[in-house]
Amino acid sequence: MNKYIKTAIMSAFGRTNGGVAYLLPGLAIKAVTLVPLMYLWRAAMSSGAEVGMSLEQMLAYTYASALLADMLFVRTAASGWLSEGVLLKLYGRPMPVLGQLAAQTAGGWLPALLLFSLPMAAAAPLLGVSLVPASPLFPASLLLCISLGFAVDFLFACLSIRLRSMNWLIDRMRVAVAAVLSGTVIPIRLLPFGLSEAMKYQPFASLGGAPLSIFAGAADAAETIALQLAWNAILWPLAMLAWKKSQEGMVSYGG
Amino acid sequence: MADNNINSNSNGNGNGNINSNSNSSNSNNNINSNGDSSSNNRIWKALRLAWRAIARVFGLLAISAKMDLAWLLRDTKYAALGICGDVVNNAATVSGVFLIASRFDGIGGMSADETLLMMAYSTMVTGIFTLFGAGNNIHVSRIIGRGQLEHLLVQPLPLGVQLATSGFAPFTGGSNLIAGAALLAVAAGRLGLRITLPWLAALAAYLLATMAIIVARSYLVSSAAFYAPAAAEEISSDAIEGTWILSTFPLSGMPRFVQIPLLTIMPEGLMAWFPSLCLLGRPPLGMAAYYPMAFALLASLAANLVFRKGLDHYARKGSNRYVPHGFRR
Repeated sequence: MNKYIKTAIMSAFGRTNGGVAYLLPGLAIKAVTLVPLMYLWRAAMSSGAEVGMSLEQMLAYTYASALLADMLFVRTAASGWLSEGVLLKLYGRPMPVLGQLAAQTAGGWLPALLLFSLPMAAAAPLLGVSLVPASPLFPASLLLCISLGFAVDFLFACLSIRLRSMNWLIDRMRVAVAAVLSGTVIPIRLLPFGLSEAMKYQPFASLGGAPLSIFAGAADAAETIALQLAWNAILWPLAMLAWKKSQEGMVSYGG
Repeated sequence: MADNNINSNSNGNGNGNINSNSNSSNSNNNINSNGDSSSNNRIWKALRLAWRAIARVFGLLAISAKMDLAWLLRDTKYAALGICGDVVNNAATVSGVFLIASRFDGIGGMSADETLLMMAYSTMVTGIFTLFGAGNNIHVSRIIGRGQLEHLLVQPLPLGVQLATSGFAPFTGGSNLIAGAALLAVAAGRLGLRITLPWLAALAAYLLATMAIIVARSYLVSSAAFYAPAAAEEISSDAIEGTWILSTFPLSGMPRFVQIPLLTIMPEGLMAWFPSLCLLGRPPLGMAAYYPMAFALLASLAANLVFRKGLDHYARKGSNRYVPHGFRR
């Protein structure tokens, strides 16, 4: 376990190798995006339409989504490993490749958690947002979300191995599709035209939107966690199988 | 090195320098002794040079288009995937706000159909961006940061002309522009807008202003890559994609302290919201309808100044990331 912790710490420091100042523009963009988004919800919900969520729930959902963004939508270095030379590093070390990826990814979350999430969480009461989870099952749901996120990421990594030079495009499409289907931007239950019922059973809905709904008290926690468990049970074996079949097909030229 | 080809002259060898001067017509000045004829000659000469410059720009765009077509034909599967990727990516970005507007029957005084018009405008902007920016020529910090500027500076063409024409991809990059135009037609139909020639001219002017702001902001921040090539290599992505989701937010109904910064410091409100309301005939916040054009002009001037300063620094110091063929160090 120690070697994974060391890898995570190395990854965390790796993010700040160029100086903490270089992280600030990205964090500032996060903060600047969050404020108008909160007001967008205020403007939208002022219409009085009945959507099954109160304004307070909506603001808590949006705020928590920004604070936990990296964990709600897992992206490992595997997304760009064919062109960035990550492949050689991973196979050159005496550790399982997937374990390294997981440790690196988790370590990479730390700077943003410390520099953005922590201060913003402290400022939440000033903005009228309550960050007290509505259900004690929220941490369990978050863990299942992270676990499923890794499985989905590995599946996309296998797709990028299959399609070789298209990893940038695949990553871009994944981010776009997941933003809509996972409910991290718009809660699934708010989707119009009857989409909410149909969408809540697809695998992306068990990612970010699931723990956020439980956090805000906008979903049945037991049913949501059962769905998350089911998708983890389905996608992890698939990811491992795809991984096993894909390793021989890797080609890397970058660095 | 940086100054080598920016204003270089050609001696009529057909290599197509935009600022090239030909000496062939100088002798005509001696034949015409009266002032009017001399003046006419100068006008004709200027027109001829302008025409040659325009023809050369179109020629360069045609070369980029040909290379784009070659990619589509030789690697059709991946090119088609790229086109799909562009469409899916944009659809995912703009659909979120439209779905909210539909669910809540509008946002902050904008109806769902007006929001659709705004999303159509945003899609067209994305389309124009991919149509003319396929070669990192708008994400210019990547070119500078990777030490690839040298490759442009050794070409017998002004840097600006190369950057303006090298990313033209009409066959693989135009899908969002077509999708945006179709969406715009649907939204206009639902809103009962009368599409007249002046309205289309206004649409073109707003699209041009929006693109100018995007390019100016990208070049402004990308100038940092002249000084810190590795750290600032992706800074244009932060400036363009990092804040793009904000540009799809209808700012109607938000307080002034949110709206004003988004129309000045971070002009995301000028990417779709402000122009869309102008096209609907109600410029927001009591501001003039030409505000985006004025902002675009100021932003372009600022970007020009800062970029040239960075280029001067680069000409003196070079890039520590340059290696042959442009791979990153």
